[in-house]
Amino acid sequence: MFTTPRLVAIALCAALNFAIGNIAYLIKLPIYLDSIGTILCALLIFPDRLAAIVCAFIAGFIGIILSGLIVNPFLPWFALTVLAIAIVSALLTGLAAGTFRARPLAMPAFAGKVIVYGVITGIVSAIVSAPVVVYLFGGVTGSGSAFVVAFFLKTGQQLMNAALLSGLATEPIDKTLQVLLAALLYRSTPQEFVAMLAPPARSPAT
Amino acid sequence: MTPNGAVIFALAVIAGAALARDAITLGIVLTITLIFGLGSRRRIWGALAWSAGIVLPLAAFMGAVWIGIVGRAPAEIAASLEGSRAAAAAYVAVICVRLFIVAFAIQAAFLHFAGWTPLRFVGGLTAPPVVKKLLVLTLSLIETILQAVDRARTALIAAGIITRNPSWRNLRHGWILVQTVWLTVVTIAIGRTRDKWPVEDTLARLDGALATSAAPRLGAADCGWIALVVAGAAIAWGLR
Repeated sequence: MFTTPRLVAIALCAALNFAIGNIAYLIKLPIYLDSIGTILCALLIFPDRLAAIVCAFIAGFIGIILSGLIVNPFLPWFALTVLAIAIVSALLTGLAAGTFRARPLAMPAFAGKVIVYGVITGIVSAIVSAPVVVYLFGGVTGSGSAFVVAFFLKTGQQLMNAALLSGLATEPIDKTLQVLLAALLYRSTPQEFVAMLAPPARSPAT
Repeated sequence: MTPNGAVIFALAVIAGAALARDAITLGIVLTITLIFGLGSRRRIWGALAWSAGIVLPLAAFMGAVWIGIVGRAPAEIAASLEGSRAAAAAYVAVICVRLFIVAFAIQAAFLHFAGWTPLRFVGGLTAPPVVKKLLVLTLSLIETILQAVDRARTALIAAGIITRNPSWRNLRHGWILVQTVWLTVVTIAIGRTRDKWPVEDTLARLDGALATSAAPRLGAADCGWIALVVAGAAIAWGLR
């Protein structure tokens, strides 16, 4: 499962997860972009689904651990969210790998699949993240979505419901953008690198 | 102290902070963390300031939401009570102290290894070789990516495609920066994997370097710090 090119791909995607936040910060983008490497890793290793889940999770996990040590100490609490994103990406988003690399680009299919898989990733991510957001952050994570939480609390919702509804309102948008960026990066990745990640051919039985 | 001991201590403190539900228990965990920081025999002000810098914006945000907008604590909402801003403030304070402990525990662990290179720290961890190799490769590639970001950003600003300050152009063309950086590092990775590393035998040398720098799993100092955590847990349990 862990061939040298795959180890390099995991490290690259982990580093991408880490560094992309730096890019978003440098050009002052109002989005997180913290799971692009995880989704991209699953796309690169697809159709080997088990390897894609394991490698994407490791890439995401290393990314949040390093970010946790250097930039944001609260990210490692979202390890289960990383696992959920890795599973969704390897089992679902990977199905669109052919569409994402198709030349010429089939725009309606590309856009449709990005939106569908982005929304699904966002919903799963929101459900898995909600308990952490409630327990560790008291429902408020410092992003604009906190005011959505406040709105739901003000209407009498319980904290867990408010955090979940807020996540469901905001995560699908963020994750759709991330699936879009991962798909575009996957599309622009040289074929030579993708070929290096294919499972090693088994020698025929003698 | 060994890297393993630091990881165990930090995880224990973070778990303690996560499980603590009242001010006394949080106070005990905070005290243990401060002692741990002071035990590094280095100045802890920088670590305290960094941790406070991470938590204060969140505290302001939480204060605005819980005290300013909602005006009552979650327990009061659950019990359908009218609630008070004081209870909301106490709730925010507990959450913020917990977050501060999490941030400071990591910084305090770093203080114990100031002057160590990442390679030496990773080499000292007890972990499967593939995990250690991945950590080192990732740290190396982060440097590569950050350098690629600097180069690409400068080039795109010079070309007038993105700007130095926040702008709509950045929002429209920021993608080009991401793509440029990705293509740069993938090309570098292909070159290293296919030619450079096999010729220089880099991965085998890395395995050797990580194996030779392996420290003892736990030292006497580690046991002392872990005993402090156990004592703190016992005191917190006794005061319940």
